Amino acid sequence: MGSPVMDTTCAAFRRLPADALRPDAVHRFVVGEDTRLRVLDRDEAAAELGDPFATLLLLRGVFPRTAGEVLEALDRESPAGDPLRDGFFFLLGEGSQIALTPETGSVARRLRFLVARGVGAQGADVLLSAFSPDEGDVELMAWDRRSGGFNYYQTVGTSSAWVFAGNSRHALRDPTQGKGPFESHLSGTFVMKELRFPWLHWHSKAAPILPSVLSQDPALVGHPWVTGDNPQGADVCEIEVAKPGIERWARHRFDRMLADGGRIDDPARILRQVLGTPSVNIVSSQTESRDTAPGRPVDLPQTFFVDSEGLTEVLGLLPPPPFSVDGELYLTALATAGARVTDGAGFVQPGDTHFAFAVPERAFEDQVVLRQAVRVGLLTRRLAACLLMTDFPNPVFSDRRAALLAHVPPTATVADGAGDFSERMAGSITAAAPNTPEGSPEREFAARWARGEDLSPLDDELRAYYTAVGARLRTQDGVDAYVRLAESRRARVRTMPISETPLLFVTTDVPRAPREMRADATVTEV
Amino acid sequence: MPVLIRFDTPARLPEPEADRDAWSKRMGAVVARLADEFDQFFDPTATDPGPDALTPAITWTAFPALLLQGATSQEQRWATADASRSRQDEYCEWGVERDGDGVVTRVTFTCETPEYFEHLAERDPDRLLALYAELVGPQVRLEDLVVGGVYRRDNVHNRSTEGRPAHLIQRNNNLTAALRLAAEATVLRRSADGRPVTSPQELTRCGGLGEPLRNSDPQIASAVNDAAAQGAEISLADPLGLYIHRFLVGGMETPDGADPASFWTVERGTPGHVLRASYAVPAERGYRVGDVRADGRPIRFGAQLADRVSVRLTALVRPADHRPVRLPCVG
Repeated sequence: MGSPVMDTTCAAFRRLPADALRPDAVHRFVVGEDTRLRVLDRDEAAAELGDPFATLLLLRGVFPRTAGEVLEALDRESPAGDPLRDGFFFLLGEGSQIALTPETGSVARRLRFLVARGVGAQGADVLLSAFSPDEGDVELMAWDRRSGGFNYYQTVGTSSAWVFAGNSRHALRDPTQGKGPFESHLSGTFVMKELRFPWLHWHSKAAPILPSVLSQDPALVGHPWVTGDNPQGADVCEIEVAKPGIERWARHRFDRMLADGGRIDDPARILRQVLGTPSVNIVSSQTESRDTAPGRPVDLPQTFFVDSEGLTEVLGLLPPPPFSVDGELYLTALATAGARVTDGAGFVQPGDTHFAFAVPERAFEDQVVLRQAVRVGLLTRRLAACLLMTDFPNPVFSDRRAALLAHVPPTATVADGAGDFSERMAGSITAAAPNTPEGSPEREFAARWARGEDLSPLDDELRAYYTAVGARLRTQDGVDAYVRLAESRRARVRTMPISETPLLFVTTDVPRAPREMRADATVTEV
Repeated sequence: MPVLIRFDTPARLPEPEADRDAWSKRMGAVVARLADEFDQFFDPTATDPGPDALTPAITWTAFPALLLQGATSQEQRWATADASRSRQDEYCEWGVERDGDGVVTRVTFTCETPEYFEHLAERDPDRLLALYAELVGPQVRLEDLVVGGVYRRDNVHNRSTEGRPAHLIQRNNNLTAALRLAAEATVLRRSADGRPVTSPQELTRCGGLGEPLRNSDPQIASAVNDAAAQGAEISLADPLGLYIHRFLVGGMETPDGADPASFWTVERGTPGHVLRASYAVPAERGYRVGDVRADGRPIRFGAQLADRVSVRLTALVRPADHRPVRLPCVG
């Protein structure tokens, strides 16, 4: 149907010509697999789609046009008492914390809703995202109760045509991985950019999106999505929707491997989520920038300095202390960096984002994969620790750690929570190490691996590093360097699909350059 | 919405008629005093809220946000919160019961403020004792609770994080403090350079409205202040009180696949106004709370559940046409 579509990004759906869509029909356009849009007949759709949105609505000929109509249809078609009739409304927007004044009225705050239906201990069965209850361009994902994974759907404009854009499993294999919706849903699961208190851009208890900001949109004034209990806070989304949804897909993915005789055909796909930084979450200080003042501490996120989620929460290594900096040092560093918040369209506000020091951290979806890989026995605790300790001062975007991917064995088999993968991978790295230059990641890994099963020496390394970071945070030079390092990491995120507006982070005059943290807590340009 | 005849008991608890009036007078005196003091705080027993009055819910998490800042790890912050009621400062406190193996068997949460227990001590000590017997256990004696004619909030039966709490005791966790916070938050503030102060932490510090890094104070202050900025008058909705809003079970797993939400029991109040609730596995299931997992970890601390409990205060907003002037910071 229509011409071949060459765009392989998630923007491909917005460029679908309206006349290529048949109203009241299910289409298939899995980018990478389908070169053009095609209509699925009822049997094809029934064979491929096992989620409740499809089975209750699309396969029964119900084709809502807007987000609001989707919810009305679910209410109508679901039996009484079905969890699909209940749910949560969430609100977010990168400009949502910019106070409404005559000067800021024109800022594109990118306010948008996330709606979750059918919420249980495993997360939500149906999730939809829309800028307004009464508009089209709805993005929807629904858990496939037959084959597992989320099915991804999209509408275009106000058409009643629905496009099936793929299932979570398409995110993990060629030729579909990284394309279409999986450009941003990299491992096939739900994306909530901020999965940690205080949720910089979400309506939350820590930073409510005030009714005065909502009043900009007349359609929202008094709307049920934003009155009474709604919108819900980001804490509810994190606990009830995002984390269990991410866990649900990861567990399904690994359980399928176990069911397949424990054979893992592409362990490198898993190890990329352990050693690389395919995705990130955004984390920030819990301190409001406006509440920063000389003599008052500004807490900094631990995960900027070390992967404490992986090293401590999963592997049990020494936890980092709380890191903080005096407000005077931080404000001076911001001034030196020329920090400001801007939408790139005329709005400029000196200083940092609503919560200070927003930076990327290792994505929760990648942490979950680490936990699952340990659970099924693909990674022993010793291997995981030695891998993650390689270049540990750089918890994200570490080329040194990613270089170890070259040593991932091509296949793996696990049974009863164990296998020989870890020994084989470690063997490959340690065998290669002597032939690599001094200071190579292979040599770094091999030195730790040689210490055996006792991981306590790793705690000593971490302790020394934490002490050094604490000392650097008491100096202006140190704080300036960390602000520059943060900017380098933000620059990497700005090239990723999750970066949709300059308001995601602070903007600075720090020269663009890759920078690394060293184990002595100094920062170097590379 | 007509003028309120009187302030009802928390969660509209059953109360003899004379005692009900006494409770209303007790809280009415607090509200009237605040209404006199603050232009945009009103007394719903004296002023008709009007047909357009709104009742926005203000909710926050029971786990103390102050402990997040100093946390080194999840286990460290959970253990710290479980160790002392004085750290449980979000208008919600809890006690943990364990079996002989140290495994968690029940966690009890309360949002019930001490003022009602002081009211009982004054009006009907026998009812106070009976209530303690119900909430805490039969070992309680009246002389443990009332000493020298004064009710002891942190008496020997209500100060521990082990066992069953009776009501809130942390020094900021009381209804009078919540009312005063709401009233004081009606005052608009400006920074030294004349900029309106609206963000929660900055507003809380600027207005001297409590602790900027708690969940509750900045949330209450910000919501009230935003309504006041629109010219409205604010009070708290009847029945006055702090209530358990919700318990979240996302990511929880039980050994036998039972719905983890089914182990949550409202012990006091009504579904819309929950004062007290507990989490325990029925004996016939053959396992304990400590065998339930949350986010992949066994439940070893009450605070793991406090992460999932939210607390609510309901404001009463009366549209009006005040034109408040922003005042300088006091904090």
